[in-house]
Amino acid sequence: MAQINNKELETLLGLRPESMEEHPFHFCPGCGHGLVFRLVAEVIDELKIKERAICVASIGCSVNSYEYFNFDGLESAHGRAPAVATAIKRCHPHLVPFTYQGDGDLAAIGTAEIVHACTRGENITTIFVNNAIYGMTGGQMAPTTLTGMYSTSTPAGRKPSLAGYPIRVCEMLSTLEGTAYVARVAVHSPASVRKAKQAIKLAFRTQLAGLGMSLVEVLSPCPTNWRVEPIKAMDWLAENMLAHYPLGEYKVIEAVAALQKEVSHA
Amino acid sequence: MSEKTLMAGNIAIAEGAILAGCQAYFGYPITPQNELLEHMSKRMPEEGRVFVQTESELSAINMVYGAAASGCRAMTSTSSPGFSLQQEGISYMAGAEIPAVVVNVMRGGPGLGDIGGAQGDYFQATKGGGHGDYNIITLAPASVQEMMDLAMLAFELADKYRNPVALLPDGFLGQAVEPVTMRQPVTEFPDKPWAITGAVGRPKNIINSFAMDPVDYRPRVELLRQKLIKIKRNEVRYEGIALDDASLIIVAYGSAFRSAMTAMKMAREEGFKIGIFRPITLFPFPVKPLSDLSQKTRRFLVVELSFGQLIEDVRLSLGTGAQVELANQFGGVPISADEILEAIERIMK
Amino acid sequence: MHEEIAIGGFGGQGVLFIGRLLTEAGFREGHEVVYMPSYGAEKRGGTVWCNVTISDERIGALFIARPTVAVAMNSASLSRFGQTTKTDGLLVVNQSLVPEKVARHDIDVVYIPANDLAAEAGNSDVSNLVALGALLACRPVISLRSIHQIMEESLRKKQKLLQMNQKALEKGYGWTQKEYAGRVSGLKAVVNHVRREDAG
Repeated sequence: MAQINNKELETLLGLRPESMEEHPFHFCPGCGHGLVFRLVAEVIDELKIKERAICVASIGCSVNSYEYFNFDGLESAHGRAPAVATAIKRCHPHLVPFTYQGDGDLAAIGTAEIVHACTRGENITTIFVNNAIYGMTGGQMAPTTLTGMYSTSTPAGRKPSLAGYPIRVCEMLSTLEGTAYVARVAVHSPASVRKAKQAIKLAFRTQLAGLGMSLVEVLSPCPTNWRVEPIKAMDWLAENMLAHYPLGEYKVIEAVAALQKEVSHA
Repeated sequence: MSEKTLMAGNIAIAEGAILAGCQAYFGYPITPQNELLEHMSKRMPEEGRVFVQTESELSAINMVYGAAASGCRAMTSTSSPGFSLQQEGISYMAGAEIPAVVVNVMRGGPGLGDIGGAQGDYFQATKGGGHGDYNIITLAPASVQEMMDLAMLAFELADKYRNPVALLPDGFLGQAVEPVTMRQPVTEFPDKPWAITGAVGRPKNIINSFAMDPVDYRPRVELLRQKLIKIKRNEVRYEGIALDDASLIIVAYGSAFRSAMTAMKMAREEGFKIGIFRPITLFPFPVKPLSDLSQKTRRFLVVELSFGQLIEDVRLSLGTGAQVELANQFGGVPISADEILEAIERIMK
Repeated sequence: MHEEIAIGGFGGQGVLFIGRLLTEAGFREGHEVVYMPSYGAEKRGGTVWCNVTISDERIGALFIARPTVAVAMNSASLSRFGQTTKTDGLLVVNQSLVPEKVARHDIDVVYIPANDLAAEAGNSDVSNLVALGALLACRPVISLRSIHQIMEESLRKKQKLLQMNQKALEKGYGWTQKEYAGRVSGLKAVVNHVRREDAG
């Protein structure tokens, strides 16, 4: 009888999605990235697109996200992932590229790239992880850092008079005609994780149906740089982030809504 | 007789790229290369290929990265200020060993500069330009025919070495119209098993220029270094004109070379034995062929459209024994044959 | 054969068009050619120029410092070409817009009322073709027939403009032959080439 190794066993028991690579996590305890990776991997398994999926990674804590997936991936320069994904999709319409970007990457240095990918209505998917802080470089202010929030570069708290206001990405991008599906979800509770997965799945289905740009913003904890314990970080997220970044669907064009109905009927 | 047609330099690059099998073009308008982008906006869809006018040169170079990483022959074109923006992407492509073609139709600088032709981006193109240890193969056309031929060669070399290649004409060549012999389209392309095309029936491919640990990155950079040594050994290209009896050799490329040709003719009518050495590859620079010439003559005149950038490579190649003079223009102004002739007369007296 | 032709005038005067015609004709007649236009924002209004080199050897410089043939469609280009035109060269001056005269005896100068003759041909906008006619009357660097052929091809869908252009070309050619016979080196007799070629 054939031997079953750990990896196969995990997959068989549903412990590890097939699209998830066996790779030790480099993230801090309580980080949200691991959760989001898993949701993406589950969705890709369920949609059976592992052989077509391309992970377009970014710079920041998500820098080597392609390491965690069991399909093709590449790194892109800071903020440029939507441009890279655009080219891959235009050259190979059958592939399913998605960008995996943090808040500094997408909402600061890469603002032009994400806005114009949305404006052109590129048929790609963006997973935007917002933890309101720069993780990899050690806790500096992000474009999404909340007003008054401490960071290593706003030691007295973010003051709008000096550092401007936290940017609301979903609200902004949903005004662009090229976006088909824009939603903000969170991963701070089992219920919110389930909703997050639904949104991520709908985003990929939007791409598969060729309906245009889909983007899911995921509010995600960063206990290390928020300087709270992992469990408390979940509460911190709920108490501090949700007021400024309300969860929900910001843009669902009719064709995407029709897709959504198909699921609920099924 | 082969088919000849009149063509502007910028258009010849575009058509050369199409003949070479360029499957994707990304660009942002900037003078004096707009005709190239406009031509591609019409021709690429006609050929069923990809054209995107991007929001910036930065976006353009990163789209080139994406397209080339997924196995397509891809190109962008720009002029000097845009080339500066693209250095980021070029460095990433060099690091990740992505073959791509970047056209820089050089204009006057620094800063916004002007729309005249110039050669002030020589250092930027040949010495790395972006961050980190790398070089890109740099080709310098001197006629509209070469705009086409070297555009085609650029794609070939990019694939051969998995390295970005720059085509570096000046703005004047981009606008010039000359007869061009049309070439045959390329029909055979190398396999790219490393490309990200979807992990079907193979382990996943990853493309990056990154390692968490420097100990892991160093061997990769060592491979880049060995590749550059190979490029220097194999890919040197140059043209020599009337070198046999020359007692003064002009070194020039691009439109400056064209003016030098006229100056050479005028000078020879006056009895001065002038030859011309024209580097076609600016990187790899033809060090050996040039230093071999110093056995024949010790006098060299560098003609270029910059403060003096090419002249540094010429001096490095020739060593201290040679007399190396400079006749130049800059800031977007062409150099006339008269100016070069004056320099010749000054040296030969 | 080696001619270096410089043409200058206001944007909108068709300076680049006749430059392209000369280049295309030289190319079709089997010569080496280079066409170098001024470029940039000045599509209309500012002074534009172009250089056309037609030769039987590999051509060097893209730019012409001392033209063997020059056409000045406005005063700004005359002040340039009046000095730079090579000894024994030809300078065609559009007298309709340029009142100045050239104080040189080592070159042939043709003063032609190009706008007025163009108006007679139907539209003063085609003064460029009148000037080209004058140039070819004095220096047959390429044949009139080539110019006609190229125009017929490129303006096939604009028959009215084509006829106007043809008429203007003939006018410039005929007028110059008549007015400058014997005064320009090599231009001896009035021969109506245009009609004869048309008949042929």
